[in-house]
Amino acid sequence: MVKLTIDGKKVEVPKGTTVLDAARKLDIHIPTLCFHEAITPYGGCRLCIVEVIRDGATQIASSCVYEAADGLEVKTATDRVLELRKFMVELLLAEAPEAQVLQDLAQELGVKAPKRFKVRNELCIACGQCVRACREIVGVSAIDFANKGYEKKASSPFFERSDACIGCGTCFSICPTGAITLKDLAEGETAELPDGTKVIGPARIIDNWKVGLAMKKCKQCGEPFAPQFQLEHFTKKVNLAADFYDVCVQCRT
Amino acid sequence: MKVSGKKDLQKLQKEGMAILFPDRTRIMVGMATCCLAKGSAEVMSALKDEIKKQGLKADVVSVGCIGLCYQEPTIEVVQPGKPKITYGEITPGKIPSLVACIKQGKVEKQSVLYRTDKEELPLNGGRHIFSKGAPQKEFKGIQEYSEVPFFKKQRKIALRNAGFIDPENISEYIARGGYSSLVNTLASMKPEDVIAEVTKAGLRGRSGGGFPTGVKWQACRKAEGKIKYMLCNVSEGDPGIGMHKSLLESDPHSVLEGMIIGAYAIGAKEGYIYISSGQTLGVRRMEKAVADAKAHGFLGKSILKSGFDFTVKVKEGAGAYVCGEESALIRSFEGDWGEPRQRPPYPAVSGLWGKPTVINNVETLANVPVIMGQGAKWFSSIGSEKSKGTKVFSIVGEVNRPGLIEVPMGTTLREIIYDVGGGLPRGKTLKAVLAGGPAGGCVPKKLMSLPVDYEALMQAGSAMSSGGIIVMGEDTCMVDMNKYLLSFSEGESCGKCTPCRVGVRRMREIITDISEGKGREGDVELLEKMALLIKDGALCNLGKTAPNPVLATLRYFKDEYQAHIKNKKCSAAVCTSLKK
Repeated sequence: MVKLTIDGKKVEVPKGTTVLDAARKLDIHIPTLCFHEAITPYGGCRLCIVEVIRDGATQIASSCVYEAADGLEVKTATDRVLELRKFMVELLLAEAPEAQVLQDLAQELGVKAPKRFKVRNELCIACGQCVRACREIVGVSAIDFANKGYEKKASSPFFERSDACIGCGTCFSICPTGAITLKDLAEGETAELPDGTKVIGPARIIDNWKVGLAMKKCKQCGEPFAPQFQLEHFTKKVNLAADFYDVCVQCRT
Repeated sequence: MKVSGKKDLQKLQKEGMAILFPDRTRIMVGMATCCLAKGSAEVMSALKDEIKKQGLKADVVSVGCIGLCYQEPTIEVVQPGKPKITYGEITPGKIPSLVACIKQGKVEKQSVLYRTDKEELPLNGGRHIFSKGAPQKEFKGIQEYSEVPFFKKQRKIALRNAGFIDPENISEYIARGGYSSLVNTLASMKPEDVIAEVTKAGLRGRSGGGFPTGVKWQACRKAEGKIKYMLCNVSEGDPGIGMHKSLLESDPHSVLEGMIIGAYAIGAKEGYIYISSGQTLGVRRMEKAVADAKAHGFLGKSILKSGFDFTVKVKEGAGAYVCGEESALIRSFEGDWGEPRQRPPYPAVSGLWGKPTVINNVETLANVPVIMGQGAKWFSSIGSEKSKGTKVFSIVGEVNRPGLIEVPMGTTLREIIYDVGGGLPRGKTLKAVLAGGPAGGCVPKKLMSLPVDYEALMQAGSAMSSGGIIVMGEDTCMVDMNKYLLSFSEGESCGKCTPCRVGVRRMREIITDISEGKGREGDVELLEKMALLIKDGALCNLGKTAPNPVLATLRYFKDEYQAHIKNKKCSAAVCTSLKK
């Protein structure tokens, strides 16, 4: 166990706990953007930064990746920290002003959209949650970051159709800004993917990864219930019988 | 042959001396990348042909970079009993007359640069005297090395062998004292003693922050775990400079020997040399050095019967400035994106594959054998109060003698630009000196008395970084220069953290506006505010130093920004959208 102080309050946590988790134990709120408890923390958005005082020296650190240590003193809302957090949101507002999560953060921190920067309207803010989720939770690593610097964004390999995507929708649900679009096409409904591929429903389409996956229909009720490719993936992965997914969940119960 | 101790080394030293200073003609041609870029390969080829043609018996050797980049291609001639003669700006057309002169033991007066009567052998503590007594008539009128303005204020420690030896011949390295420090260290010192000596010497990292090397080694030695790694960082990324490249190509063994001593000090059994992509010649030379060192018993199991095992592999990176940052280098090495991690934990405690790792810069390591050989007291007598030893600089830009130099820390900018560099060409006036490249800052003309060391540069708003010095004349637009530097950092940003990924880009956009006459009221204040916030909020030193040029130019050249914004004027006539 390690003992540290956050905003003057003492807390004891197991070794390996991050400062962010230690703060949550004390019900101290620290805003985050690229953090999600189901995946490894990244430390990139710099919203969760705090002042950490160790051996007499103060450091600005992402609390989601800073390991708590004995004798650490943490300050989560000093003027210095708040000014930095506001700056991060100001920068991101010019990137994706339409993102609700950014508008909420702006309100929470008292930030106005900066007028000097030309608005980019790019919803992907390179937080990496979709990438880490696809790698760590789903385990298919269908997507990763492409490009470096300002152009960094989540992408399928070479911006081409991902051949590993199983259409589970985890990326879609976890994305904080709604940068990922996922739609299920009904029987006979058509759509065109960004690379020109035409898709006819029943199918699941994810424009971002240029994915159009045909849905499997239940042998019993005839309803499409999951992408065929996804079911094949799980059948192989967990060594299921070939007809395991012939019947949908609803009909099974 | 495998060296097992001092006696074996002395035997090799003797053999090497006979190669360096033979009893027949030895001709050395500079063949580092900079020399090759100026045509030294063609010169070498013409030389070999002509020697055959004229029937001259001579050893022709490729050497590394002597630093005289402005006078490349260079050729040096060593003949028994005569001073060494250095020729410059040689072309294939000048070869026939040059070879004819060499054959007669005469000096080719058109191309001669200087003569060398005696050469210091840095680690032996000895010297080689080319010609005793007063110079013969033939050589009298030629300037001696110690009087040559370019070299007079220099002191070669890291570059002690560069240009003097064939970098692919370990015997020549040994002849000039190479590996004697390793032999003595393993024979008589404990790892803790090595760390104490390097700490006492005051050696600081020769790229980036200038962190005390001994402290880093100690932290790694003390860290928990049996497996430790020693890494050498050769990912020189600054545009327009080539100190690291030069060391690799000119004297790879000096780096290797330093690395082996460092590994012994920290207790590492495996070492890696991380070389940024595109350094083909450097990679080849280092791989040869590693193979030769192994063959001689300086790498492998129980080196020199000490019980200390150490092997080294060379690894190429994909070429990114950000990978010069330790934690990004480690990630790149592990096969992942070259993105930094937040520290702590520091690499010395948890680095490559989670193990305690020391990452040292090329130049830092090249200094180690000299410190161990000559002692901490000797090393710390050179330089300034907090910056000991020397520093290698690439001096480029509007200067008469661009090249690779090494001067004691504390040498002033004025001495470097004017005494060593020969001042600005075509009668131009100095405007500023950029030290530290995209991570540094320009120092204005009025501060030329600034001593070049870590602290002084930082206080002036500049930085040592890897040692690039760019001389800028009166026709430089500081706004334009800033735009260039920021664009570089913007392009090299890994994109992980918001302040650098977005902040640096937005700063650059504002400066572009200013350079195109679209600057707005309040831009200067906004730039300053953004620069300070990015410095404070960025995850790694790329982001933390990218705003430095902005802050430096705002500190010293604010009026230029105002002129661009308010009057739409660029007095240097560089920003084409604006009037002069």
